[in-house]
Amino acid sequence: MSLVGLIARDELRLMGRNRVAVIAFALLVLLTLAAVASSWSHHRAVTQLRARQQHTAEAAFDAQPDRHPHRMVHYGTFIYRPPAPLAAFDPGIDAFTGNSMFLEGHRQNTANFGDVQQSSLLVRFGQLTPAFVLQVVAPLLLIFLGFGALSRETERGTLRLLLLHGATRWQVVGGKLLAMGVVAVVAGLPATLGLALIAAQHGALVLPMLVIVLGYSTYLALWAVLIVLVSALVRHSRDALLALVALWAVAIVLLPRVAPDVASAAVPLRNKLQTEVAIARDLRTLGDTHNPDDPYYAAFKQATLRRYGVARVEELPVNYKGVLAVEGERLTSELFDRYAAESFAAQGRQNALVRAVGVLSPAIALRSLSMAAAGTDYAGHRRFLEQAEAYRYALVQRLNRMQAENVTYAADVAQGADADRRKRISGRNWGEMPDFAYRVPEGEALAAAAVPELLILSAWVALALMLLVYATRRLGARR
Amino acid sequence: MSVWTHEARLLLRARLAVVGLALLAALTIAALAAGSAEVSRQRAAIAAIPAAQAEDIRAVANYVDRSKDAGSAAYYSFLPTWDAPSPLAFAALGMRDVAPYILRVRALGLEAQIYDGDVFNPELALPGRFDFAFVLVFLAPLFVIALCHDLVSGEREAGRLRTLEALPRGGRALLRRRTILRTGLLWLTLTLPFCSAAVFAGVSMANILLVAFVIVSYLLFWVALTVFVGRLNWSSVANAATLAGMWLILVLVAPTLAHVAINNAVPVAQGSEIALAQRERVNAAWDTPREDTMRLFYARHPQWSGSAPLGDAFHYKWYLAFHQNGDESVAASARAYRAGLQRRDAAGRALGWVLPSVGVQALLTRLAGTDLGAQLAYHDRIRVYHRHVREFFYDYLFTDRPFTRADFTKVPTFREPGKDS
Repeated sequence: MSLVGLIARDELRLMGRNRVAVIAFALLVLLTLAAVASSWSHHRAVTQLRARQQHTAEAAFDAQPDRHPHRMVHYGTFIYRPPAPLAAFDPGIDAFTGNSMFLEGHRQNTANFGDVQQSSLLVRFGQLTPAFVLQVVAPLLLIFLGFGALSRETERGTLRLLLLHGATRWQVVGGKLLAMGVVAVVAGLPATLGLALIAAQHGALVLPMLVIVLGYSTYLALWAVLIVLVSALVRHSRDALLALVALWAVAIVLLPRVAPDVASAAVPLRNKLQTEVAIARDLRTLGDTHNPDDPYYAAFKQATLRRYGVARVEELPVNYKGVLAVEGERLTSELFDRYAAESFAAQGRQNALVRAVGVLSPAIALRSLSMAAAGTDYAGHRRFLEQAEAYRYALVQRLNRMQAENVTYAADVAQGADADRRKRISGRNWGEMPDFAYRVPEGEALAAAAVPELLILSAWVALALMLLVYATRRLGARR
Repeated sequence: MSVWTHEARLLLRARLAVVGLALLAALTIAALAAGSAEVSRQRAAIAAIPAAQAEDIRAVANYVDRSKDAGSAAYYSFLPTWDAPSPLAFAALGMRDVAPYILRVRALGLEAQIYDGDVFNPELALPGRFDFAFVLVFLAPLFVIALCHDLVSGEREAGRLRTLEALPRGGRALLRRRTILRTGLLWLTLTLPFCSAAVFAGVSMANILLVAFVIVSYLLFWVALTVFVGRLNWSSVANAATLAGMWLILVLVAPTLAHVAINNAVPVAQGSEIALAQRERVNAAWDTPREDTMRLFYARHPQWSGSAPLGDAFHYKWYLAFHQNGDESVAASARAYRAGLQRRDAAGRALGWVLPSVGVQALLTRLAGTDLGAQLAYHDRIRVYHRHVREFFYDYLFTDRPFTRADFTKVPTFREPGKDS
């Protein structure tokens, strides 16, 4: 066996003899298994629940009786976001965004009922998921196991002995690094197996899974290198431990909390009240469907009459009220989209700022990578919101067109006892409306979104390795 | 006394201690500043309501004034409610970053409105806010560990422990003095910035004292843990590693495990199911005989039953009546939902008796009025206000009184707690 291998084996044997280390390691494995099991069962329950609710909502929509189509515009429909397949590994912001949405005419509603509002305060301490265990707990375990790798040898003078026996500094450091690498692999293995089990249920998504495995491997490798590096730089084990724990606390606990504060201070978000008032203001300048003298709608009426070559709305082959509803929805939706796009952009800028801090904290970079590849980041939520809005718009306009084509103008404006019945169209129409089907993003797109963070992590590893080369040169020198 | 100043001088000569205390002070001040900034942002948003609202209502009034129909006024008037942050909110933001603190409601069914969220960036909310509670609960223990883990073992490793033990009373007084000094300095580092910020924010003296007491209790818990581990005669390194592991379990791992356990043990009906049921009831009213709807409504609200019978044309009193019927039909499940949330919250807080980290977080958010209880109390205030608004409009609708521009000024306005007269 090579010298590097021998040194690594010796280091591992020493770790194995450390009872606390063995217990900690066993705890990590147990924690990972618990995380995989609970995350997986939660994911399955949520998937079933949302599918069931979606089905109930669709059935209720289809079963509506004969109605005026505009009633259905207000009846609206509920849609539910199915959790991303890899959400069982890293649920990301799933608990923080609402996952159900009520879609109706004239309004863009928010996604409501996020788990964070339905859970105890403990949810703010973090969630027990395989991603959490790997991001937060595993590095600390590696630190406990490895902080003394070189500092111990320096402290006790055994490094000198090793060097005197003909080992080079590179072999010593290489051996320690190898030992840490083995520990990191073993630490990451249960979660990786969990990920594989989770994904096997869903098949596909090979690329994002590869990126996730690659990302976490790079992350754990980075910690392995950092630990050996710090251990090589300091004279006492105690200093190595304190420095590493401090590094861990800053990178993993502190910076991820500070960065959002910086981002939300730098990029303000318009709240709902402001948005609604601004939209109402814009709508008033656009025109008022209720006002017969409104210039915009007067012009629209003229244009419609001209298009059909008639003089009065009563002579139109279509129901003018329906035509008006289509136009009104088009205008309001355009406004909604504009304001939504503004909000999306602002939140995107906030997230970009946080990601910029990811250059300083590999933990943020990894978190972003993991969520992006799992499809549980803000981009994933935005995908849902945009598809929901597209569906809402199509649904409402379909109903408005039904009003224009299937309800006569005469019936629509009629008053009196029998009028209500004549305005209605058959309930069979509702069943023919397409249901909401959330289009899952392609694996390639998910994986591609995670690539920048993978590069940041790789750059960190490269930098740490360079520093390690420098530290190795000085290793054992009299200081 | 000179012994104490001597000890203080010794401590401040240690680079680690000075750097540690300075860092903790900087973090505390930064967290207080971040919390205050967030709270003043929320106050500014609340202060901006009247202007925006006046503009909106003016436009509604212009429109309604043509028909003088109280129903249109009720339908188109979105009325603001808000939950102003308490003076102490800057220290523990709690749920205020994810739960809405401004909500506009109108006189229609409340169950379809009250669960609406406001705009917030979920990716920013995910890691939790950087506030004073975070510094205290998560970071302060690490500083206790860094400063106190080697009080005994350090002396032993430096070869001075034998000498110390040979002193009268075995040097215990010396070690006790050192521990107290370190704890005191840490406490001051956290408490002084907090107190200045709290006095500035107008927090009551009782609450300031209470928080100062919470800080010292929490620090003492960690100091006690550190002293206990120090008694085991391990090396400094083993002490530090053990304590850091305990920190990880007490502050990060145990609460997340408990979260899973509580959510499994206390099932909560999905809030969205209430909204779905309410919508079904409300919309079914369009297809049930209108007299049935009114009969049900009058049975529950006899004070309006003398109103004129419905004609053929649409009348808003029927519309609003079936909205209220819809709310009332799901009232039981709404109460059950709320009770479920409270049970989960109570379970979480009960855990605070075992886990100091959770206990401190729960206590601080309770004192700051930023916990679930405060959120539910805000919901209650919205419900009361909504009832006033409904009754106000009913008074016009069920008596067919015209609703003029001047009547818009009479619409009840939302009152903040403590400001009712």
